[in-house]
Amino acid sequence: MTADLIVDPQIRFWVFLPIVIITFLVGILRHYVSMLLSSQKKVEVQQLADSQLILRARALRENCGYIPKNSFLIRRQAFNKEDGYLMQKRPPVTQNMMTDPSMMTDMLKGNLTNVLPMIIIGGWINWMFSGFITTKVPFPLTLRFKSMLQRGIELSHLDASWVSSASWYFLNVFGLRSIYTLVLGENNAADQSRQMQEQMQMTGAASVMPADPKVPFKAEWEGLEIVEHQWKLADIEKEMLQE
Amino acid sequence: MSNKTKNEPVIAYSELAIRNNLSIVEYCRTSLAAVSGCTAGVLGLTGSYGAIFFILAVTSFWLMLLCKAGVDSWKKFFISRKSLLLNGLFGHFFTYILCWTFIYGMVHVY
Amino acid sequence: MPATFIHRSILTIGFLSLFHAAYSAAQHRSYLRLNELDFTYLPHDITIQALISLFIIMYGVLHVAGDFKEIKASAELEDKSWETYGNIPSFYTFSHRGGKCSNTNSKTSLEEME
Repeated sequence: MTADLIVDPQIRFWVFLPIVIITFLVGILRHYVSMLLSSQKKVEVQQLADSQLILRARALRENCGYIPKNSFLIRRQAFNKEDGYLMQKRPPVTQNMMTDPSMMTDMLKGNLTNVLPMIIIGGWINWMFSGFITTKVPFPLTLRFKSMLQRGIELSHLDASWVSSASWYFLNVFGLRSIYTLVLGENNAADQSRQMQEQMQMTGAASVMPADPKVPFKAEWEGLEIVEHQWKLADIEKEMLQE
Repeated sequence: MSNKTKNEPVIAYSELAIRNNLSIVEYCRTSLAAVSGCTAGVLGLTGSYGAIFFILAVTSFWLMLLCKAGVDSWKKFFISRKSLLLNGLFGHFFTYILCWTFIYGMVHVY
Repeated sequence: MPATFIHRSILTIGFLSLFHAAYSAAQHRSYLRLNELDFTYLPHDITIQALISLFIIMYGVLHVAGDFKEIKASAELEDKSWETYGNIPSFYTFSHRGGKCSNTNSKTSLEEME
């Protein structure tokens, strides 16, 4: 064990601990702020009907074993025939993201609760606590981790397992996720990486409600065509009588 | 078709109860990862000892979980015993490492 | 068996004990450093205390988290009587001939119901 480096104990209470606490509290704060700012999305009636239609088709596909074959065929016919539910035409939706004001405010709010605190707090921590060696990871690491763990300290002879303050902050940002789940319950807004993912999806114009129902309709249509009817309740009378 | 149903009767599971059980287990396991990380930090384990300690902690927690559910009656509450042990192990290991590093730094470095 | 006060206090005791073990270990390290001794191993009492508190916390968490539900769909229906199943509110009928047969008093009460 290379305990040759003695670190000032003052760093523990004035750098190491504050970074953990700040990161944690900022996560909690972000959760509540985004709860405050979140707005219910407005949904078009047509879109809602389409998504419910897809749900119905899926329910039929998954539970077809519990209805007789004849009923299943009738239901499938209703969905899949020439002018059935799944074959109906929808006018192509050309919704420009940038002109839709609600989309804009949503993106702005996302930025406000996500990216902005990340930049501000990260910059502040970098500025305030720069250049400290904060801790040492209790397992050996190769030299490749040096650039990751020792941001802000350019010492080529330092062992790779020492962690600088800036890197400790980033470790906390990504590592505290499950602790948030513990404290705030699931589906919290403090989880940064998940939100980033969501934002990426939003900018990729693939939101929760598909703007163009043609593609999922087609997929559901194919699924219904393929599915094979297996009657699961063949022995039900016998089983009931046995019990 | 009917042969198959004769051999394996179809058991209908309640989705809500499964989700409830899994969320309880998930909660316990996350806190277990955090607390065992803290303990490893206090003990000052280094290197592969820490990983071994994590495995030991998870396994003993798994046994305790089975004890709580009842040694014979765990089938009433969970579909599979193995997935109870192995699900999301890496995510928990990350939590473990963070807590381990944190407490190790607090206790042993300075 | 819901999470009782006892389990919560067990959890608290576990955390306090773990914290105390951590504090003792930190004191031990600083003592060694002041006397310029090398660190070989932690004193046994601290090790044992940390391990025991870990198990206490595990036990507490397991009981505080809540109870499991039976996953069989039939489990929650087992202790209900047949009358509960037969009760289908959508098929309630209020305007049947019984109203006509009885006196006017019941008729007004029926109208109130509607």
